[in-house]
Amino acid sequence: MTTAPYNYSYIFKYIIIGDMGVGKSCLLHQFTEKKFMADCPHTIGVEFGTRIMEVSGQKVKLQIWDTAGQERFRAVTRSYYRGAAGALMVYDITRRSTYNHLSSWLTDARNLTNPNTVIILIGNKADLEAQRDVTYEEAKQFAEENGLLFLEASAKTGENVEDAFLEAAKKIYQNIQDGSLDLNAAESGVQHKPSAPQGGRLGNDAPSQKEGCSC
Amino acid sequence: MEEVVTDTVAPEDLKKFEKKYNAELVKGAVSKETQFEYAWCLIRSKYSNDIVKGIQLLEELVQKSSKDDQRDYLFYLSVANYRLKEYERALKYIRILLKNEPGNNQAIELEKLIERALKKDGLVGMAIVGGIGLGVAGLAGLIGLAVAKGGAKS
Repeated sequence: MTTAPYNYSYIFKYIIIGDMGVGKSCLLHQFTEKKFMADCPHTIGVEFGTRIMEVSGQKVKLQIWDTAGQERFRAVTRSYYRGAAGALMVYDITRRSTYNHLSSWLTDARNLTNPNTVIILIGNKADLEAQRDVTYEEAKQFAEENGLLFLEASAKTGENVEDAFLEAAKKIYQNIQDGSLDLNAAESGVQHKPSAPQGGRLGNDAPSQKEGCSC
Repeated sequence: MEEVVTDTVAPEDLKKFEKKYNAELVKGAVSKETQFEYAWCLIRSKYSNDIVKGIQLLEELVQKSSKDDQRDYLFYLSVANYRLKEYERALKYIRILLKNEPGNNQAIELEKLIERALKKDGLVGMAIVGGIGLGVAGLAGLIGLAVAKGGAKS
């Protein structure tokens, strides 16, 4: 449902991926509701959440598809990757197997999204330091080698949850500004919604070196 | 939740999972996974014939499965019936799921959505009945008038 004057300037599509039980839905819930869901059952298929946040001075609406981690959903949930501007790839710092599977998630994400899709690696359950099974340093190195943003977060305490979504959004916004993300491309995962007061700024925001077409 | 139930399948995805399903069907045995994947795509179709077919596949799966596996099928049976505006049936399926898993957030949200749709449907129904009522009253009035006039002339 859309209300006429938008109170945001952009829509970014996000996906959340990763093994089952790493806390994808809890991260989403913490982000949208600012609450921790204890005893969260396994997601059926996909879930959806949305929140408007300020990114580099712009109001951006994040539309987030949270995919089920269980194997039986994986073939179909792949179709939700299409047209994502951002992806949160989540593992559990207390379960090494979820970290070891990252390359498979990353392959899917790379193959099914566009080259500009911003991927942020999230090591969740950072509050469980005593049970840590994956060091910060090795995950950081994995992220650097693969050109990913990286944060450790806790859906339980809320630590870095906001930043996980924000850091990816900042990078997407930066890609829009420097022209590397083409808003007119069918699957950029970004929609521009010129809101009334800021409509005039479009020209400054997107200096299009290409043909005259700037929607 | 509204986004989840109104989301539609890309035609190429539907085709892909249809192919996989048919390939297994020809070989004689369709796996539960393949049947579910195809059904999940069918019930997200724009066409109600596809949704009906998806419902049949899901109902088969429910009958063949243990309680633990049923949650996925029940959830999407509810979504499918919602999409067909079969709200009573949608409610029936989601309530079975909720009986097994009372705290399931996705199911709770879906139940709320269906209840809202039912209520809205009820109001529209009442408006239609109300409209017919007014129409009948109006017609009776007109007939009455005509009779009265006819009576006056003769």
